[in-house]
Amino acid sequence: MTGNRMRNTLLILALAASAHLLAARPAVAHHSFAAEFDITKPMTLTGKVTKLEWTNPHAYVYVDVQDPQTGAVTNWAVEMGSPNGLTRLGWTRNVLKPGDAVTIEGSLGRNKPNLANARSVVMTATGQKLGAASSEAAR
Amino acid sequence: MRRLAIVVALLVFGSAGFAQTGRGAITGTIVTDGGDAVGSATIQATEQSTGKVFTAVTSKTGRYRLADLPAGTYEISVPQLGLRTSRYAKPNVVVEAAKTLSLDIALMPNNFGIIGDDAGFLQILNKYADIKGPAPRMPDGHPDFSGVWLANVDPNPEPASMLPWAVAEWTRRRDANFAGMPTATCLPTDPTLTLPVFYKIIQTRSLLVHLFEQDPHYRQAFLDGRGHPKDPDPTWMGHSIARWEKDTLVIDTVGLNDKSWLLQATWLPHTEMLHIVERYHRPDLAHLNIDVTMEDPGAFTKPVERHVTWQLAPGEELMEAICSENNKFQENAGIQ
Repeated sequence: MTGNRMRNTLLILALAASAHLLAARPAVAHHSFAAEFDITKPMTLTGKVTKLEWTNPHAYVYVDVQDPQTGAVTNWAVEMGSPNGLTRLGWTRNVLKPGDAVTIEGSLGRNKPNLANARSVVMTATGQKLGAASSEAAR
Repeated sequence: MRRLAIVVALLVFGSAGFAQTGRGAITGTIVTDGGDAVGSATIQATEQSTGKVFTAVTSKTGRYRLADLPAGTYEISVPQLGLRTSRYAKPNVVVEAAKTLSLDIALMPNNFGIIGDDAGFLQILNKYADIKGPAPRMPDGHPDFSGVWLANVDPNPEPASMLPWAVAEWTRRRDANFAGMPTATCLPTDPTLTLPVFYKIIQTRSLLVHLFEQDPHYRQAFLDGRGHPKDPDPTWMGHSIARWEKDTLVIDTVGLNDKSWLLQATWLPHTEMLHIVERYHRPDLAHLNIDVTMEDPGAFTKPVERHVTWQLAPGEELMEAICSENNKFQENAGIQ
């Protein structure tokens, strides 16, 4: 093997090895949420539902959030999974109605203001967590 | 005769040594990041010196017991479960003879843990964990794979070995947070059906059809003895023909375009030389084992393999999901 070919072989091996390591990163689903949201920016927001978009590929809940200091109200768009996935967790298109008070935990959007995703949605009045439990929901 | 004596001595010595090591156990509970019990999940204990794997399955309340483990050092792991949780691994767990170690596990969320973004994977897995029985058969005696199945990813995926251009392309994709993924703009899913969601199989004597909720919503494999067409137009799902090898159905796919990103959670680049062989085997009523081999001399330095098990989910049904209805991905990702 010439020096050049040897170097090329080593380079390929090194690249293959680096791909091995990199492939161990957390999985990305059918859409890259990392391009939309920032996992290092968790957020909790509490407000009143203005609209539920029960659409594919993602459902959105829109929430009016009031700033406790200024009183200014901002409408947030919160992305969830698909209606199919939510239905299988026990949601329906009528589960949230305009005026419902909700507390949402998730991550902030990267590129747009007032955009977030939801890891959990809790009815503020009752403390009911919508479609979350694994063993509970199976019963 | 002397050789026999040595063999006998080794056997005696070996078994005595084995008895001295003794056995222990690990027990605990597996929960999600939200504190919900993870039922029907498989936990693995891999003995680090031998590579030997011991498994246990959690109860519906998330309890497990890895019993009868030879004393030694283990890596404890829980595979990725659907899109809901990430793989868990804890090396250097020491099991001592006649002792029970307690290890409670909280799985980290995968994919931000976004609510409703998987197929209710943990719930569905738990719901259908108790299905038992033999694999059904067609009137002609071949196994019948028809039904609604919950897919999962390979619990122990081997990394791909790729040519330099493919490594560079994969790195570019990763550095862009995989924003260019075809499915993000409602283009088809990859032809290996590796997304851990529902698939419906309809099987006749001469055809096997996969239905699914992602574009293009179906794939068909011809079981009527035809071959592949000569020089087919490359397509997203390619051209699939199938044949029986005893009770295993072998699906052979060529004619694939180079636009799809291969393998859920991996997103490998490939060329039109891609050739996929899938081997379907149904060991019992509830499970479908699929071994996938992907060859592509234009992208991989050796075939990429995946070994997955699908769970029968007979009470579930596919639902319509038209991706382009309200896709805000590009807007949200700041892509013009």
